[in-house]
Amino acid sequence: MTTNVQGIDFSKLSLRDALDLAILVEEEAKERYEELAEQLEQHRTPEAAKFFRFMVENEAKHRADLAERRRVLYGREPSTVTRDMIFDIEAPEYDEARAFMSLRQALEVALRAEQKAHAFFVGAMPSASDPAVRALFDSLRLDEIEHQNLVQAQLDKLPPDPVAKPEDYGDEPVSQ
Amino acid sequence: MTTNPLLVAKDFKSDLKPIWCPGCGDFGVVQAIYRALAGVGRPPHEIAFVSGIGCSSRIPGYTTAYGFNSVHGRSLPIAQGIKMANPDLLVLCAGGDGDGFSIGGGHVAHAVRRNPDITYIVMDNQIYGLTKGQLSPTSPCGLKTVTSTYGSFEQPVNPLLYLLSYGAGFVAQATPADMAGMASVIEEAIRYPGFSFVNIQSPCVTYGQETQQVKAHRSQMKSLASVGHDPANRMGAFELASHYGEELYTGVFYRNPTPPPTYDALFRGRQAELATKVPRDRILDMFVQR
Repeated sequence: MTTNVQGIDFSKLSLRDALDLAILVEEEAKERYEELAEQLEQHRTPEAAKFFRFMVENEAKHRADLAERRRVLYGREPSTVTRDMIFDIEAPEYDEARAFMSLRQALEVALRAEQKAHAFFVGAMPSASDPAVRALFDSLRLDEIEHQNLVQAQLDKLPPDPVAKPEDYGDEPVSQ
Repeated sequence: MTTNPLLVAKDFKSDLKPIWCPGCGDFGVVQAIYRALAGVGRPPHEIAFVSGIGCSSRIPGYTTAYGFNSVHGRSLPIAQGIKMANPDLLVLCAGGDGDGFSIGGGHVAHAVRRNPDITYIVMDNQIYGLTKGQLSPTSPCGLKTVTSTYGSFEQPVNPLLYLLSYGAGFVAQATPADMAGMASVIEEAIRYPGFSFVNIQSPCVTYGQETQQVKAHRSQMKSLASVGHDPANRMGAFELASHYGEELYTGVFYRNPTPPPTYDALFRGRQAELATKVPRDRILDMFVQR
């Protein structure tokens, strides 16, 4: 189905494991936004960094909600899915970040990440044989649409970026 | 030597924050190394990670393994020394294309022919990034840089052909555009008993060309498995590797199906053979036949 999961057979996934998978997806996204925020703070890009910090809180909240649901249903039962089985499902890719990126560009990164997560759950649904797992993936898919709408609403409020980009100020190569 | 199946990628991540440019390919590479090391299962204190100088050579500091950010181009000799002194260590070596194929280029052939059990990971960005964008040995012909203002006249080095010609038993290529594939290739390289080489096309986001960025890699990359390549076919590997710079093949070009003994194993064998015959005060006689 996708190349960003390793060793997960969706047809055999139980609801407990599907919840664990969803928790890990949110955890990965939270950590990635944290890393991107750190990178941009280090490279004097405060507006985009601040937005990524906001996304850290969002992803942490989503993770906590899912973890609570898992706790109520399954307590401390062990999980069979691990972080090492997933790659960049809702987490923005590292190459999306740029020094001096605008707030608009940062929001567009988040939008693409939400779209990617939506595509993941849409792709996973037909492979899941447990109806409860399919229902969970469907609700997560809808959540991702809601998140996309929220990010899009923020984007719509922003003025367009200036025509000149930071790289336009860079010097052409000169001999050394 | 121990293996712990409970180790996870996070166990190999240090508290030091990478200072690479946002968007750098090396962020993906270090993540893939964490995953590969977790897959191999050796604890961080049993791993030595040696590098040269350059952006990518900062990588050992971002892991919890023992690290040595050494001298420009000299990571391989140091790594070999470490492996000889303590063969039980898992030894990784990393650096950029300039570090590996220009400044340290002479060491590669000798490391390969000795065949120590070391994994050499080159983050090939086709430019000297840390020093602000000069031509590197793998820069494409015609590239305009601060040291080739009107375009380079030089043909690039082909790292894959180099390593295959020297006789490396394991030669692979990866890109951060395929994180799972990259982690899996690095893990396979570490598990190979002998000198293994992984060329990672890790783009320089600041001085690299648009066509060399991760986004471009996503449409360019072609897995060697998808073209039906058998990694045991050395001549086939040569043919495919000759397209370096034109095609972005990912996966294992060559894996020697019958790996020869490693240098460290031969060395230990010699030590064991002679240790009983030579008194301690004549220890050097082990290496000089009279």
